[in-house]
Amino acid sequence: MTPMVGFLARRLFYLLPVLIAVSLLTFLIASLLPGDLAYTILGDQATPENVAALRHDMGLDEPIWWRYLGWLGHVLEGDLGRSFRTGQTVLQAVAERLPVSFELMLFAQIIALAVGVPLAIVCAARSGGPFDRFMTGTAFGMLSVPAFLSAILLIYLFAVELHWLPATGYIPFTEDPIGNLRFFVLPSLTLGLAEWPGIMRVLRSDMIAALQEDYITLAKAKGLKPSRILFVHALKPSSLTLITITGINIGRLMGGTVIVETIFALPGIGRLLVGAIGTRDLIILQGVVLCIACGYVLMNFVVDMLYAVIDPRIRHGHA
Amino acid sequence: MKAAIARRSFAPFFLVAAFAMSAWTGPAAAQKSGGSITVGQELDIPGFDPLKVGVFDTSAETAAAAIFDTLTTLDDKGEPVPKLAQSWSHSDDFKTWTFKLRPGVKFHDGTPFNAQAVKDNFDRQKDPANKCRCAFYIAGINDVQAPDELTLVYNLKDPSANLPAILSIPSSNNAIQSPTAWKTKGDDYNRNPVGTGPYILKSWTAGDRMVLEKNPDYWNKGHPYLDRIVLKPLPDAQSRFASLQSGEADIVWDDEYDADNIQRAMKDPKLTVHTYKGSGAAVYAFNTKVAPFDDVRVRQALVMAINRKKMSQAITNGLARPASNPYGDGSWVKCKDDGALPEDPAKATALLKDYGKPVEFKMLVTATPRGRTVGQVLQQFWKQVGANMEIEQVDQATIPPRAFMRQFQLTPWRIIDLADPDPQMYANFHTGSPVALANYSNPELDHLLEHARTTADVAARTEDYCAVSRLINKEAIWFWTFQNTYYAISTSKLKGVPKMFSGVIDVSNTWLE
Repeated sequence: MTPMVGFLARRLFYLLPVLIAVSLLTFLIASLLPGDLAYTILGDQATPENVAALRHDMGLDEPIWWRYLGWLGHVLEGDLGRSFRTGQTVLQAVAERLPVSFELMLFAQIIALAVGVPLAIVCAARSGGPFDRFMTGTAFGMLSVPAFLSAILLIYLFAVELHWLPATGYIPFTEDPIGNLRFFVLPSLTLGLAEWPGIMRVLRSDMIAALQEDYITLAKAKGLKPSRILFVHALKPSSLTLITITGINIGRLMGGTVIVETIFALPGIGRLLVGAIGTRDLIILQGVVLCIACGYVLMNFVVDMLYAVIDPRIRHGHA
Repeated sequence: MKAAIARRSFAPFFLVAAFAMSAWTGPAAAQKSGGSITVGQELDIPGFDPLKVGVFDTSAETAAAAIFDTLTTLDDKGEPVPKLAQSWSHSDDFKTWTFKLRPGVKFHDGTPFNAQAVKDNFDRQKDPANKCRCAFYIAGINDVQAPDELTLVYNLKDPSANLPAILSIPSSNNAIQSPTAWKTKGDDYNRNPVGTGPYILKSWTAGDRMVLEKNPDYWNKGHPYLDRIVLKPLPDAQSRFASLQSGEADIVWDDEYDADNIQRAMKDPKLTVHTYKGSGAAVYAFNTKVAPFDDVRVRQALVMAINRKKMSQAITNGLARPASNPYGDGSWVKCKDDGALPEDPAKATALLKDYGKPVEFKMLVTATPRGRTVGQVLQQFWKQVGANMEIEQVDQATIPPRAFMRQFQLTPWRIIDLADPDPQMYANFHTGSPVALANYSNPELDHLLEHARTTADVAARTEDYCAVSRLINKEAIWFWTFQNTYYAISTSKLKGVPKMFSGVIDVSNTWLE
């Protein structure tokens, strides 16, 4: 067995308890929310007899661990349940909405990296200089601007005043690729603007540290070109950090989609979640939370894998 | 919140024949055909099958007004005029109503529209086995009969003189759906509705857009005007308004908690603010069976401590109209004396002193920014007169069950805009009703409510309802803060938006200039 396969197998094995914990927590959170699903469904018809009958029909009168096991069994069979309000299955609803959130997160990540990485390199190269100090300050300021504020400001400037971009809305990529991209500019900018400062600050300090290592001094002494030292000798070792932040960012971006999708009226996972909370659609709620949590866990798994690809010390287990 | 009400009612009424068709004649010169509009709504629409969604919210009713037809509709004065029903008559006791239906109408799927189709709609909702939330609102109708193809008979439990007006709201009870469609499509019907209305559902992307296209075979020739209506949920109030300004939307839903934007739009010549001052009010019920609200002095003191003008200024920039009775200026019930208690903090303080014990209680508040603001303002008023209110935040869906089970001390509620006060007043105040939230029983109040529903004379009924208001205000079992005002903002090119009865934006008969 090659070290890589062994590493993969070990990691996958560790994933199992995490996923079980995720499913348990998801189920508990949804079950322990105040209020009763039977009351929600019956509304004005909620006489005590009706409620008791419906609770029995839905198995709500069974002990919670038994309900969890039943639910888990269905989940393993690929059945996450069905919304009592729309009749849609959780998987249908998620499949419809996922591409939107995915596109949003992808663009936001690209924007954050495209802004954050070059700035970090420039600042690290001349650390302590006026540009570095200015950008560090700006990044700090940008970190403190909440998405709901930057979203409204962007809408006001680009949609209401300049009429360059639409304020809200969505069109599938398959129907109108250009239109689709136009709709995504402002939302991804909103999310990206909140993310680049983190990338820039961490990468910058990492590179500054790397630039003080002995091997950099050696490289300088050998007379290597400054750009080569910067990009190859300093950036490459710092890229592990970059991957870590990018991985963590995906979690933050998922959180950000809830707000951004609501403001820009994008039909993504975040909106589905908010809607499910508002209407007490607990089946959709726990299904979506489970999907997001699993997605996040898998994403971190991929990040771990990337470490191993980049740094052989990790896959050999002596890091 | 939509209060629990039975959608039936009565008032002075007489036979309306087909001549009252002014609202439904062909297009006048000014009305242009063609074009497309986008409507920005507050909420995602979950679907249209009453068995699944129970009741439609106002966003769903906007769509329902285009896809479906109702038996009647309201003209600008609020009087019912024919739609799928051409004429109607009632028995002397207002307990039996007979409707003559429009011939030659077909559902979008080709199913003929007839009395049996309406009866099927009713029976499906009424069937106890279906456990439909919608059944609550037709509890007052015993049954619906279809003696022949185009005759429909409603048999009511109690007299109702305003039934035709009540049937006009495009609610889950009143929108007539194709029986063939729900039978053949099963679970999928909810999101593939079929009606007889002026627009046909073309496509619907969950959470994004619903595209409605002109029904070429619509029974009302010359209608509708627009080729296409796109309905979009735009949940955020700020970006919804920005979408209107930037042209992504042509008309958007709004409410007075978004006062800044409404007032901005009023000054903008490119925009039109549609305002409908409806009947009803935002109301609150005390649970009079639990301390401290089992003592009338405490209830009166809390009501007298509220300064509605200040409150309106604080939460809606002064847009919200103070209410002193449950009917409002939009109702035909006009009282010379509604018995409203004066705003008098000094008297309130004295009453609480007189009561002697410390006044501490919890109030249910919806966990939304507007719910919290209202709660905090009331908390301050009451603190000033020596009462301690603790805010208990719950989500909107929790309030009705808590209210029905009487698990509250003070709860918010709403009396919605309706053509007649009877359904809601009877339900909210008659002894034994599930929605008589105050747990208060008074033979005099019961007698007034019964007399009002069995009388046809407007003046006599007005006197009854004013006496009801005086009694409730004096006993302070419920109180009212603001009258219902419904808002929509559109581009000024959009014409023909009717009054927003019950808060529904009906764009099915609009046109672009």
